[in-house]
Amino acid sequence: MSDPLSHPAPLPETAIHVEGLEKLYRRTLPGDRLRTLKSVLVEGSLTGNLRREDAIVALTGIDFTVARGEAFGVVGGNGSGKSTLLKLIAGMLKPTAGRITVSGRVAAMIELGAGFHPEISGRENVFINGAVLGLSKREIARRYDEIVEFSGLGGFMEEPVKNYSSGMYVRLGFAVAIHTDPDVLLVDEVLAVGDEAFAHRCIRRIEEFLAAGRTLLLVSHSLDLVAGLCDRVLWLENGKQRLIESPRRAIDAYRQEVAETEAEEHQAAKDQRDAAGDSAAAASTTASSGADRWGSREAEITAVRLLNAAGAEHYHLQSGEDATFEIEVRAAAALADFVFGIAIATPRGIEVWGTNTDLEGYVPASFAGAATVRLTCPALRLAAGEYTVDVAVHARDGAPYDYHRRALSFTVTAATARQGGVGVYVPEHRWGFTGDVRWTGEEI
Amino acid sequence: MFRVARQLFRFRGLLGTLTARELKARYRGSVLGFLWSLANPLLLLAVYSFVFGVLFRPARSQGIGDGPYALFIVSGLFPWVWLSTSALEGSMSLIANSGLIRKAVFPAELLPMVVVLSNLVHLLLAMPVVLSAVLAMSLLTHTVGGPGVVMLPLVLLLHLPMVAGLALGASALTVHFKDVRDLLANLLTLLFFLTPILYSLDFFSGGQNRGMQLMGWVVRLNPFTPFTRAYQDVLFFGRAPEGLLWAQMALVSLVFWAAGAWLFDRLRETLVEAA
Repeated sequence: MSDPLSHPAPLPETAIHVEGLEKLYRRTLPGDRLRTLKSVLVEGSLTGNLRREDAIVALTGIDFTVARGEAFGVVGGNGSGKSTLLKLIAGMLKPTAGRITVSGRVAAMIELGAGFHPEISGRENVFINGAVLGLSKREIARRYDEIVEFSGLGGFMEEPVKNYSSGMYVRLGFAVAIHTDPDVLLVDEVLAVGDEAFAHRCIRRIEEFLAAGRTLLLVSHSLDLVAGLCDRVLWLENGKQRLIESPRRAIDAYRQEVAETEAEEHQAAKDQRDAAGDSAAAASTTASSGADRWGSREAEITAVRLLNAAGAEHYHLQSGEDATFEIEVRAAAALADFVFGIAIATPRGIEVWGTNTDLEGYVPASFAGAATVRLTCPALRLAAGEYTVDVAVHARDGAPYDYHRRALSFTVTAATARQGGVGVYVPEHRWGFTGDVRWTGEEI
Repeated sequence: MFRVARQLFRFRGLLGTLTARELKARYRGSVLGFLWSLANPLLLLAVYSFVFGVLFRPARSQGIGDGPYALFIVSGLFPWVWLSTSALEGSMSLIANSGLIRKAVFPAELLPMVVVLSNLVHLLLAMPVVLSAVLAMSLLTHTVGGPGVVMLPLVLLLHLPMVAGLALGASALTVHFKDVRDLLANLLTLLFFLTPILYSLDFFSGGQNRGMQLMGWVVRLNPFTPFTRAYQDVLFFGRAPEGLLWAQMALVSLVFWAAGAWLFDRLRETLVEAA
C-alpha cells in the first residue's frame, strides 16, 4: 500500500479542505431559461446575477478540514445539503462561493452502478466503470478477478446488467469503486442497499481501507454506522453547519433534537386527539379515543416523561444510564382499586420488559386527586436502538381506566464504540481467551 | 475549450471503449449485424442510381462531367449524413445519459464525442462502397476518380473538429433547451439544400439572373460547402482540393470546434444540475 513508486510525492496531511463554502441553486421559474443561459454564458456561473430571493441556499458557511486517514461523517435530515456537499467535494458541482481542495485520487459512491449500461455485460461494465473512475485497461484487468470475487457475481459476469437485481447492481458497483484504490473515498448512503451480509462485507472493506491510512467521507442516515466508522461527525441542518464533534457528541446532539422535534409533534397530535377524545368522553365514559388509548377514564394519565439521572427530561439515553419514567395521573373520584403499569417495547412490537404495581406486590388502598408515579431503573442496560413505552392505570382485574400505548418513545446508544452486539439487552460482560488466540490492533 | 480537448485526451481509452460499445449495441439483435454498415450505403447508392439514372435524368448537371450523377451525390451525401446524425444524436446524448452525469463522476464531453466517432465509423465503412463504385465507373470509361483520393484522410481529419464542435455545443445547449433539437433538425434540412450536394457550385456560375447569383453566394458562404466540395474533389473527381479550399476548411473547423468546446465548457457546471 505504501509503495514509494506509486506515490512518488507523499500526499499532504490534509485530505479535504473546505473553506467558506456556499452553494446556491437557481429556482427554476417558467420563462426563466433564457435569463439562466445568459448568466451562464456571460458570467460563467449559474448563480452570478442571482438575487438572494430567487435562489435556494443548499449550503452556506461550511468550513472544515479532514486529515489524511480520517473517517469523517456527515449527518442531517433530508434536504440538509449532505448530498450536495458530497457532489461538491467530488467536483461534480461547482461552489457558488468558497474553496474546496481535495488531494489524492478520489472515488465517489453516489449511486452505485449509475454508470452501468444496461444492454452490455457485467464484465464490460466493470471495464467501463473502472475507466470512468480513472483506471487504465491494464489496471482493471489486473484487479478484475478480485472485483468479481468481492461482488460474488462470478456466474453472472457475461450477463447483460439489465438482468441484474438491484442488489447485484449495487454489489458490482461497490466492488469496482472500492477496487480503484482511491486515496479519498466519498460514500453517499449506498451501504443501505444490498443484503446484510454484503453490507457487512462492505463495512469490513471500508475498515481495511481506513486501516491503510486512507480517508473516508461518509454521508448516511444510519447513525449507528456513522458512529461505528467515523472519527468526527459534521451535523448539517438546512444547509448550515450545526457542529463538528466526536461521533458520540454530534450524534447525541442530533438525536436529541430529532427526539425533541418528534416529541413536539407527538404532543401536538396527542393534544388534538385528546381534544377529540374529551368530547367523545363526554358522550360515553367508556369510549376510547383512538386505537392507542382506551379506558373508562375513572383515572386519567395526564403526562408521561422520561428523565435522566440528573432528573431532566431526556429522550435519548446511553446504554447503562439511569432512567426514570414519570407518569402524572389524576383520579376523577377516589379509587380503592388501582394498578399502575409500564412496559417497554421495540417499535416492531417486541416486548422488552413490563411490570405493574400489582405484580410487584403493592396492594391498593386509596388514590384520589392528582399523583405522580415514578419508576426508576438504575443502569438501564438496553441495547442501542429505539424503544417505545406503554403506560396504564387500571383495576386489578385488568379493566382499564386509562391505557396509553406508545405514550413516549426514546432512543438508546451504545455506551462505547466497542459495544456492539444485537438484541435488546446488554448484560455486563467481558471476554476471556486462553490458548493461542491473538488479535490484531490495540489491547482492550 | 482546451479543457474539453484535455479531457478527451485523458479519457481516450474510455472514449474508444464507449464507441465500440455503441457500435456493438447498434447492431445487437439484427441478423446482418455489422454488414448493415456496408449494406446501408450500398442500398442508398442503388436507390439514387435508380432515381437519377433511370426515373429521370436531371437536365442540368453542369460541373459534374460525364460521371454518374448518383455517385456525385453520395460522395457529398455520406459525409453530410455523418455531420447531421452526429449533430442530432449528439444533441440528445447528455439528456439520454442524465443518470450517468447526475449520479456518477463522469467526463460528460465523452457522450457527444462517442456519437461523433461511432458515426464516423459508419462513414468510414461506407467509403469502400463509394470507392469501389468509383473504380468500377472509371473502368467503364467514365471520367471519375483519380489519385486525389489519397487526400481523403486529411479531409476527414479536418472535418472532425467541426462535427465534434457542433455536437458538443448542441449537446450542452439541449440540456437547457429541448427546443435545440427541433430547431437543429429543421435548420439541417434547410442547410442540406443550401449545400452543393445535389448540385454542383458551377450550377450558379454564368447565370444572368440576380436571384440565382445571390443564391450562389449564399451557398458559397455556407460553412458546410467547402467540406462538401473537398469530398467531391477527392472521391468523385479524384483530384486534390485547391489551396483556398483547405484554408476555408481549416478556418471553419477551428471556429466550430472553438465555439462548441467553449459553449460546452461554459455550461459544464450546469450539466449536473440540469441534465
